[in-house]
Amino acid sequence: MTTLTNRPASANAGHKKALIERLNFFTALALGAISAIVVWRLALQFLPQDAETAQYFNREDKITLLSMVAWFVGFMTGIGALIAPFRWLTGKDLSHDENMYYAGKDMGVKRYFRYTTDHKVVGIQYLVITTVIFFIGGVLAMLIRTNLGHPEGGWIHPQAYNSIVGTHGIVMIVGTIIMVTGPFGNFIMPIMIGARDMAFPRLNALSFWLIVAAAVPLLWGQFIGGITTGWSAYNPLASQAPLGMDGYIMYICIFAISTMVAGANITTTVIRMRAKGMTWNRTPIFIYGTVASVALALPAFPVFFLSQVLSAMDRALGTSFYDTAHGGSGWLYENLFWLMGHPEVYVILIPAVAALMEMAPVFSRNPLFSFNLAVMGIAGISGLSVLVWAHHMYISGWAPLLNAPFMLTTELISIPTGMLFLVLVGTLWRGRIWVTMPMASIFALLWNFMIGGITGIYLSDVPADAFLHGSMYVTAHFHYTLMGAGLTGALASLVYWFPKMTGRMFDKKLSWISFWLTQIGFNIAFIGMFAVGLAGQPRRVEGYAAIFNQGNLITTIGAYMIMAGMLVLLHGLISSWRSGVKAPMNPWQAKTLEWSVANPIPLENFDVLPTVTSDAYGYGKAKS
Amino acid sequence: MSVETHAHHEHPDVVGSRNRLGVILLIVADVAFALSMIFVYFYLRMQNVNDMWLPAATEESPAVTALSSSSGWTVTALMAIGLLAHFYALKGVRAGNQTQLKLGGLVAFIFSVVGLVYQFNTIATAPFTFSSGAYASCFYMLTILNFVHIVLTVFISLGNWNRSRLGIYKADHWHVDIVNVWWIWMTVSSLLGAFALSFT
Repeated sequence: MTTLTNRPASANAGHKKALIERLNFFTALALGAISAIVVWRLALQFLPQDAETAQYFNREDKITLLSMVAWFVGFMTGIGALIAPFRWLTGKDLSHDENMYYAGKDMGVKRYFRYTTDHKVVGIQYLVITTVIFFIGGVLAMLIRTNLGHPEGGWIHPQAYNSIVGTHGIVMIVGTIIMVTGPFGNFIMPIMIGARDMAFPRLNALSFWLIVAAAVPLLWGQFIGGITTGWSAYNPLASQAPLGMDGYIMYICIFAISTMVAGANITTTVIRMRAKGMTWNRTPIFIYGTVASVALALPAFPVFFLSQVLSAMDRALGTSFYDTAHGGSGWLYENLFWLMGHPEVYVILIPAVAALMEMAPVFSRNPLFSFNLAVMGIAGISGLSVLVWAHHMYISGWAPLLNAPFMLTTELISIPTGMLFLVLVGTLWRGRIWVTMPMASIFALLWNFMIGGITGIYLSDVPADAFLHGSMYVTAHFHYTLMGAGLTGALASLVYWFPKMTGRMFDKKLSWISFWLTQIGFNIAFIGMFAVGLAGQPRRVEGYAAIFNQGNLITTIGAYMIMAGMLVLLHGLISSWRSGVKAPMNPWQAKTLEWSVANPIPLENFDVLPTVTSDAYGYGKAKS
Repeated sequence: MSVETHAHHEHPDVVGSRNRLGVILLIVADVAFALSMIFVYFYLRMQNVNDMWLPAATEESPAVTALSSSSGWTVTALMAIGLLAHFYALKGVRAGNQTQLKLGGLVAFIFSVVGLVYQFNTIATAPFTFSSGAYASCFYMLTILNFVHIVLTVFISLGNWNRSRLGIYKADHWHVDIVNVWWIWMTVSSLLGAFALSFT
């Protein structure tokens, strides 16, 4: 491999490109596709036929999974992820010029299609992929709601409907997990703590491109039977599902690796790279939220990863982890799944709420009310979230004696959550409110999260859950938390940090139109869903009794309003990015470090690393 | 702004400390993964659903008997010797003794390869199949994933030894420190697997 050097332009004419200059998204796609096809052909040729006694269709699963693994390895090789490890192995470390090349120095728009290590590029890449994920998930949501416009179902085949529901679920879960820590955790967080980049820039690029690599197996799965099990993919149902399930398994495994890598990277960055003088008391609350989220994901996602590895082994190798006839247990899967599944809710929520806590002082010109309470709230939620998983399993029959303790831990989580409410309300109290879309989002969060939280208490209660479990009530509840609170925080973050990320202001009018359409539509949609859920309509069922017609119609109307709001937001995003008003350095007069950096932000953020002498919430004081 | 200036400003100890923390956090994720496997093993063993932990003989197939845990302990011993060798290398580099570094690194690498071959052999010669009940499933889970762990260890040890051979670790040695952290975890994870397999 040749080494990059700074060459004069004239010397470039006859220059043979080094390998790292050749690799990009398109070579990754090509190499991934070729690898998958080759392995698929070889597996077809050489894998022996299943014995007659084999369960289900092991051979097809083997072929599918091997092809998907080949895709993954090919894609990651094609994007350049393996260059640095092999250079390390051979003792030929990347030179300074090569590292600058990886950082995307002077590379223009091409750097967004490469294995670029600059955290700002990775942040923008995350923003784009999150938008794409939400677009796909949103289209699937509209298909679901449109189909539910009639009691007897509609035009979608029940099998396809099940697959749409499952795909919508897992796509949106992944989208909401990365929606704050991906774009803003990568772009904003290092600048906010006064660092020049992330601790491990190459791991940063790796975590992003792993998500891109994961998308293809999921898409592939849609053409080979889909995900008919819902996003939770319970076993043994998943063991018996079509080959599309293999796409889900690969998607989760790759995404879990991405999450673990990102978790280690973000946590190390915050612990080791904060600016001089940025003590823990002076560290912005958004940083706490981001670290809590990824640090929670760090031990949680490996459990999810294992659950899917075992699922793949059951399907492809004939093991019996989840097969009760051969010594396995469906409860085992449920435990592994929810050991990740409930902390994951807070992986989504905490950074979104923390982002709004970051904005509340800015738009109320008040100091953050009780910083310590906010930190305690975040820590309390994180700690308790790993002790509540079995409330998802009350009526499964698993360990009834544990129902009461899990009810208690789940209800206890209301206390730290209440602390975060108190911090937000206390910050706004008697503030000089600057009414912007991010400010309005704080009120929206308080309203939505209050409904989501209170309805959750009923689900944590064993007798009430026995009635409500598996109904549309549950669907409405978690949409109120993940969308009503989580997504609201993410959209506010987009408008708030858009000027720093793009150098342009987000169109104010469009942000307001989108906000009202989305929030009104959201409440119409999910209040309607609560009503039909309380009346007994089961979730994940394509048809329903006529008695639920009115509630479903209201929900569908609300969903169309959300869709309109999101399309307006998408239009605002694209038009503002292309031709929005140029943003000043600090349009909100905020005090965190990212606003002290000029637009466009230099490659290494700061000429001279800053020294912090106070916290970022000195509003309402003299000269603030 | 001169990015070059920044690139050379960080002291190797600062970079080393950061990298060490990053690796430890990745190992935290791996610990969660390993503990999940141990949970799976003991959960299924205690449940013994339908008496299929170790299925009795039927007309079609003989009874499944558990393997001796000695293979698990042997792999652990190989990893422990590799760890000791690597620790010897680390002491060497700390004392500025490059020969000791190279020798310790080479022995550690050799033991990782021996461990890999031994682990593969254990998997390949197991007297049951994937579908021989819950114990067999758990056996394959623990041994295959330990095999994957050892593959990583071989890669890391080879790189470590090769870089030592090339004299890269003369100025600072935080890479060797970090590889040692991995070796410790590798030994502990093998030990966890062997411990679990001792309870048949």
